[in-house]
Amino acid sequence: MTIFFCQRIDADQDAHRRPLEKELGSRIRFFPLPCSGRIEPLHLLRALEAGADKVYVVTCLEGDCRYGEGNMRARKRLAYAQGLIEEIGLAKDCLELIHVPAGTTTIDKLVKELLARKAFAGPVPQAAPGQARHQRQL
Amino acid sequence: MITAERKPLSEIKEMIAPYRKILVVGCGTCVAECAAGGEKEVGLLASALRMDAQRAGRDLDIKEVTLDRQCVYEFIDQLTEFIEQYDAVLSLGCGAGVQAVAEVFPKAIVVPALNTTFVGETKEAGLWVEKCRGCGDCKLGFFAAVCPITSCAKGLFNGPCGGSQDGRCEVDSDTPCAWQLIITRLEESGRLDCLKKVHPAADWSKQQGRGPRRITRDDQRI
Repeated sequence: MTIFFCQRIDADQDAHRRPLEKELGSRIRFFPLPCSGRIEPLHLLRALEAGADKVYVVTCLEGDCRYGEGNMRARKRLAYAQGLIEEIGLAKDCLELIHVPAGTTTIDKLVKELLARKAFAGPVPQAAPGQARHQRQL
Repeated sequence: MITAERKPLSEIKEMIAPYRKILVVGCGTCVAECAAGGEKEVGLLASALRMDAQRAGRDLDIKEVTLDRQCVYEFIDQLTEFIEQYDAVLSLGCGAGVQAVAEVFPKAIVVPALNTTFVGETKEAGLWVEKCRGCGDCKLGFFAAVCPITSCAKGLFNGPCGGSQDGRCEVDSDTPCAWQLIITRLEESGRLDCLKKVHPAADWSKQQGRGPRRITRDDQRI
């Protein structure tokens, strides 16, 4: 799992994510961003290519971006990247946008919620014969 | 600037299907400005192709390169040291770039990843609009710098046609009427007299019908 997130959602994100990184090792990668508007489709594809089953982009609420439109740009770029991965037969759900009101949660709590999602079973290939993938536990 | 759009991935995959080692070559000039063939787009396409090949259990070796200009020999020459190591070149240049690479390396298999579309202007972030047809006989000086061939759906030299409504084109209401723009600008700059000149039909032989056009300037030659 790879998580790109706006640092504003958790002022103490650095301390909060370290224990999770230690516990899960290479199974999780965090990329704190000064603003979610920094995200590029290439970051998302590279994350999938590097082996992530699921890539989240966590932003503050639309209308609440410190820089005005960062989270709206993140939404559009994620949608563009979803179109690209659908072209190669990956489910667009491999990339997901999550809005979180700034200061209402911490990054570790949020990630634990995401990990606990029953449906989280790795990517769902749309048309990949011979590429059956098994449910993964994180 | 020359604009382009990426071809569907299925079409690109079909063209490179026989090859295992692919050199993906972008261009850092026009097609980078229109977000079709610059360094980022090279990365995106290469990444998508690698993932697609991996999912299909195919071995694909890709190298990514972005030249500052893919239509100028001095920049294309940067490919010389490694191009022979690749089975095919997937070019994200405009049509001129694709052909220039193929001319410099005649033995290389060069295929286009983009559809070159038009000469245009970046109107705003994410919006490019056609501005010039390259007719070879520019008359913008008579038309307040609005091209009636490109911007008027009917290509009228002696407009308006009378069909526009509220300053919008009757063919496409999203498009401003070029002749409304011409007349407004000429009026505002006190040049309405320009409209008294009757322009004969365009001489299209300057644009087409004689094979590729050339521009030669002795002062620029060595």
